[in-house]
Amino acid sequence: MTVTFDNLRAGDTIIGPSFAVSRESIRLFCDASLDYNPLHLDDAYMKGNFGKTSFGGIIMHGMNNFGLITRMLTDWAMPSGAIHRRLETRWVKPVKPGDTIRPSGIIKTKQVTSKSRWVLIDVIVQNQRDEPVATGEAMVEFPVLAKAG
Amino acid sequence: MQAEEPAPPAFETDFWKDANLRKVWDEIVPGEPRNTLPYLLTFEAIALFCKAVGETNPLYLDESAAKAGPYGGLIAPPSIHILLMFACTPADDWMRSPGTINAGQSWSYNIPARPGDTITLQARALDKFIRRERLFVVHDNVFFNQHDEVICSGRGQTIRPM
Repeated sequence: MTVTFDNLRAGDTIIGPSFAVSRESIRLFCDASLDYNPLHLDDAYMKGNFGKTSFGGIIMHGMNNFGLITRMLTDWAMPSGAIHRRLETRWVKPVKPGDTIRPSGIIKTKQVTSKSRWVLIDVIVQNQRDEPVATGEAMVEFPVLAKAG
Repeated sequence: MQAEEPAPPAFETDFWKDANLRKVWDEIVPGEPRNTLPYLLTFEAIALFCKAVGETNPLYLDESAAKAGPYGGLIAPPSIHILLMFACTPADDWMRSPGTINAGQSWSYNIPARPGDTITLQARALDKFIRRERLFVVHDNVFFNQHDEVICSGRGQTIRPM
């Protein structure tokens, strides 16, 4: 069923595709984002301590979560003529090679403003143990006259 | 007449190189603009980014489908700012300091970036603070296209290496 502003309800869910994290996927994200921070490349460096944090090996870019959430939201919104307008995220837990992560969302509320209509969505990325690795909030606009912004 | 061409210098992938040129937490001045570089966004760069996050949307990848779509041509996914953040900053930018930990970001989207756009960035540290013995810097960023239209704006926090 096509999503419309009117038929959406608080508690409705959005499920994104799962994503297998590997050393190769992390390396590809380095090349695609130009973020070559050794956090994502150098196991020897990652055996050390970072202030109060220790990772034990390379970790996925936090922004890879951000990219997966974005993909879920745009794939959900675009067929309805809706526009992904905002995403805020926090990283809760490091993601490592061998993990499988999956984004999902739950409709929190709807808001009508003087010129448009908005849907607020709580988003989360979970690993294969259903542990949250990233959480956040998104805002999708459902223009009154369907048009691209 | 001088053509305004964004120079495509080879991107330095060794973030340890020039590490000593980058500002540490003590030297970062909130409010001070960061040096930035114009960047020509190509279809190839968009396609590689799409591959890395599993994007298959034809609006990003299929020119004929995109032409018939709501934007009248190919666009980049909103999250392309992840690439633009590094593409639009020089090698001595403190965002590249090894060990920089991203503690979260928020982004607002106005219009899509498109292949062929020359992207510019206005960016600065906005705030810095210490919490639970960790050194934080808040950064804020606005990306523009060659028509001075805002593509997206965002802010985030990083934990600085000690």
